[in-house]
Parts: sequence; C-alpha cells; structure tokens
Amino acid sequence: MRPLVASLAFVAAGALGLTDAAPHRGADTGVIRGRVTESGVATAVGVRPLVGDLGSTSRDMTDRRRAVVYVDPAPRPALEELPAGRASMDQRHEEFIPHVLAITVGTVVDFPNDDTKFHNVFSLSRVKTFDLGRYPAGHSKAVQFDKPGIVPISCDIHTHMSAYVLVFNHPYFAVADEDGRYAIVNVPAGAYTLKVWSEVGQTDPRTVVVPDGQSVECDFRLERSR
Amino acid sequence: MGADSRVRCVFAAGAALVALACCGLAAAQSPEPTYHPGLGRLSLGGDATATASPADADAYFNFTNYDQNTLRAAQVRLLAEWRLSSTVSLLAELRAANGAGIDGAAWYVRWHPSAARAFDVQVGRIPPVIGLFAREPYGRDNLLIGAPLAYQYLLSLRPDALPASADDLIRMRGRGWEPSFPIGSSAVATGIPIVSAFQWDTGAEAHWHGGRMDVAGAVTRGSASVPAVGRDVNGGETWSGRVAVTGPAGLTVGVSGARGPWIESSTLALLPASLDAQDTQTLVGADLEFGWGRWLVRGEELRAVFDMPLIDATNPATRLAAWSGYLEARYRVHPRWDVAGRVEQLDFSSIQGTLGGGLPTTWDAPVERVSADVGYRAHRQLEVRAGWQMNWRDGGRISKRGYPTLQLLIWF
Repeated sequence: MRPLVASLAFVAAGALGLTDAAPHRGADTGVIRGRVTESGVATAVGVRPLVGDLGSTSRDMTDRRRAVVYVDPAPRPALEELPAGRASMDQRHEEFIPHVLAITVGTVVDFPNDDTKFHNVFSLSRVKTFDLGRYPAGHSKAVQFDKPGIVPISCDIHTHMSAYVLVFNHPYFAVADEDGRYAIVNVPAGAYTLKVWSEVGQTDPRTVVVPDGQSVECDFRLERSR
Repeated sequence: MGADSRVRCVFAAGAALVALACCGLAAAQSPEPTYHPGLGRLSLGGDATATASPADADAYFNFTNYDQNTLRAAQVRLLAEWRLSSTVSLLAELRAANGAGIDGAAWYVRWHPSAARAFDVQVGRIPPVIGLFAREPYGRDNLLIGAPLAYQYLLSLRPDALPASADDLIRMRGRGWEPSFPIGSSAVATGIPIVSAFQWDTGAEAHWHGGRMDVAGAVTRGSASVPAVGRDVNGGETWSGRVAVTGPAGLTVGVSGARGPWIESSTLALLPASLDAQDTQTLVGADLEFGWGRWLVRGEELRAVFDMPLIDATNPATRLAAWSGYLEARYRVHPRWDVAGRVEQLDFSSIQGTLGGGLPTTWDAPVERVSADVGYRAHRQLEVRAGWQMNWRDGGRISKRGYPTLQLLIWF
C-alpha cells in the first residue's frame, strides 16, 4: 500500500503543481542536488515468488533506482517550458527497465519487448488506464501520458513484473541513481519545497532556496513506510 | 523390486539428475551477482481467493482430491522463496482452505547452477511437469473459476480399494466422490483425477529452456493421479516429462507423458499371488497456448490408461482408459474487463460385465462441461469474476447441473 499512499499524495500535491511564488524571473538558473539514502529500508524490492515455476528465471531486479525527487509546487513558467518528449521502458529478463521512469506530461513512452518471451503492459491507474495486450519479443508499443500523476505499470502474464511512471507537469524532477544521487537542473532562483517519492520508504518534504546561478545541496533519508 | 529399494532408486535418480547438471554445466563460467545470505533475500507473495456457488450435496461435479469444492471455497496461499545463494533457493507454498488447517502444499530446493544457462533442478514436493494447468491451478492463472475436468474431476478409482469384477466397477459409474470396492480399504474416500493439480508429488525434476524449446523431466514417488503426500504408498517411481516449443507467433505447443504405479502396495498384496497384477498409470498429453493482443487461448488433451487387476474378470489384466480435453479462451474487452469461456469433455473406454444386459459400457460416466465468466479488475491485484458452469454426466445420481459462480481474487 505504500506506493498507493505516495501516489495519492503525489496526485493531490502535484497534479496542479504550479505556484505563483515567483522565482527571480530572468535570473540564472541553479541546480538542486543531493542524495537520497535509506534507513532501515530493504535495499532489494522483493518479487513475488513463483512456486509453480519449473525454474530458469533469475529473480534479481537489476535496476535499483527507486526514488524521484521533485519540486512541488513548481514555478509558474514551468508549464511553458515543457518539452514534447519521448521515453522508453524496456522489458528484459522479466523486468521493466527502468523500474521508475519520470517524464513530463505529453511524453510518449515506448514499451519495447527486448525479452525472449511474450509480455503485456497494462495500468489501471486513474491517471492513465491502458492495456497494450500481449506482444512478442522484438515488438514495441507506445502510450502517451497526458495527465500528471503516478502510473503503476504491470504485466498481466508475469505478476512479479512492476514499474512506475511518474508524470510531472513541470521539468523540475530527477530520478536518483543507484547510489541515491540526484540533480535537478535549470531551476530558477527561488524558494521551493522539495519532495521525494519512493517505492521503498518515505521522508518529510524539505524547503530549499536556490540562489542565482548556483547549486544547493539537499539530502534525504528515507524511513520505512508504515 | 521391494519398496525400500524403489525409494532408494527414486532418490538415486534424483542424484543422477543433479550430477548430470553438474557435468553439463561445469564449463559455464559467467559473472554472477554477489549474494549475502539473510532476510533480505527472502521474498514473499500470496493470494486469497473466495469462491461462492450454491451448495452441492449430491452431484459433486467440482470436488477435488484435496477435499474441496472448487466453486465453493475460501483459500489463502502464502508463497515464499528464500535465496540462500546465487544458485540455491528454498521455495514453499503454505495453503489454508476453508479453515481446515495449514498444508505445506509445496516445498522444495531449486538449484540454478549458472546464471548463463536456463537450467534448474528442483527436489522436494515439486510442481508437476505434465501439461499446462497443474502448475498454477489457482487464482489469476486460471482463466475461469472452476478447474478443467482432467485435473479436478474425480474418477471412480481408488488406489486403496479395488473392484473384483467389471460389475463392481460399473456400479460405481459417476460416483467418483465416494467410490467403494470389495478389495482393500472400506473407509470412505474420494476417487482420483487424471492428473492431480491440487496436491503435488514428491521427487526431483530438471528443467532446461533454450531458444524456443522448453524441456522438463521428473521422477517422483507417486503417480500423476496419486501424488505421494507424506508417505510413499507403493514404493514405485513415476517418470514424467514435457517438451514444448514456442513459435514466433505466440503459439506454444507441448507434449507430455508420465508412467508409474498408482495402486497402493498394501492393496495389491490382497490379490491372489497367482495374479500377475499390473498397477501402472500411463499418461500422454498434448497442450497448446496462444496469446496475442487481447486474446489468450489454451487447450489440452490428456489420455490416461490405468492398469486394473480384476480377479473375477475374464481378462484380469484390464486396462481402463480415460481421456479429457478442453479448449478455453479469454478476451480482454477493456483494461478492466474480460470475458472467458471453456468447453471440455471427459470420456472413458468400455468394459463388459453382466450388468446392463452384458453390453459394453464405459467404466465411468462421461462428463461434458461448459463454463463462461466475466472478470473485472478493480485493482491490479484484485479481480472479481462472475460466471456460470454447466455440467452433463451420462450416469450417477445427478446427470445435469448448472452452477452460478462468483469469485474474489486478491494477490500480492
């Protein structure tokens, strides 16, 4: 249920995530960087064991990126700056890669099947409900995400496959790397609330002030969700 | 061959499979992830299923050898995998149904010797290699609410009690829920299915997947119909296997086979020593699965032959054949909605006794079944289904019965 709670919070806060709290217009942009660490949180997200399997599948999830840091609310000009993007979420070795994908509204995401077997991609999220059906290795299907929010992704064939697409209506977000490091670039100078979405833990929002043309450090420590 | 030596033979065969795997894969050197044993490598999952339909106290079309009505059950399963190292895992399934206590439905060791090769050896109470359905008979993996006849319907045969004549057998036509025979146990017990999907056997299996081909073989202590659960009842071993090929267009075709003794040794011992009592179940099957876009289609045909020693028959070495096939399909109408249907039949070979004017008759009552469901995914881990199942049987107390069904599935 943790991702669900986080999703609701995200939708409530981020769907309209623009503010009139004015950045210094015309000023140089800055960078918010830092690290998201985990405290008492399992580093590996367990996958559903398939006891009825005859074997042959490695159950290690290779992509360990789990957290997204984002500004909420975003500065008003953010919407004007949204690029029309294209992104990709692969299916390999019965795993969605990346496990967490962060995009802006309007982005088209390709779901290529780079595995050796059939896969399916679907979501029942209110943000984007879709089912791409079953398709074989070497084929790809695409979905355009036109509303902000969190979209849990699943495979109907392999229940242990899951992923998340986080759709923002501004560009001020970053997926933390495997060491938890992140950098949100081109942030207009100003004061912002910084939040973290993670599948494996939660942390309180923090306020940062981005000076003109400079970077600011902001670290987070995730606690196990209750 | 004595019982003890047969048991030793089973485990010797298992050891041979392991040794074969060692030899075949010794050259496979590949970088593998570093493992740190501990609770961090314990993964858990499970599901809960509640299925409702009208009470059935006389037709027993959907009862199983697990003492459950598949259309009327509340069940919780807990699945666990504890990865001890990069190559060895312990897997288990605990099951509680209708408040009848907790059963260790599966527990085995999985050895995956190399990350570079899709080869595994599993030893313990293991999934069956035969066919499609038996490895995932529960929850969302089953397209419909009920189970296929071949894996669920109780034949009028018992491993612990034997008919003396063809007439004894004919009298039990359509009474698989509670057949009784003059030789052996007089206790009330169920018959057996063609393949036991709800109770798994104990033994060792090896599985290899390469390219479009999938090959699995197993040696177990029970038989396809009578798994060895807790104790070995006849000291024999069953050899089984399946070969499947997946085509580029989403079609997988498989063939299966199994052969092993199915009658309990203590029951066979009651037969005259002069009778050359055969007790083998031989099974062959073919299956297919096709999935593309919104469609998923599956079908199986299984044929089992049971050796049945009849001391009062003209031909004491009677062979009883049973065959069953089904074709099922699911179409996803909407990301949340799907419709599914299954048609199937179960038929039997004929025997000849004095009953019914001495005319040849099937040794059990043939059954036909049609099922249809509508499913709604309320959440990616929660599904509700409603449907109807219609059964026809050429014998028994009840020859026709329809069941409205409702099912709630949750998995995690």
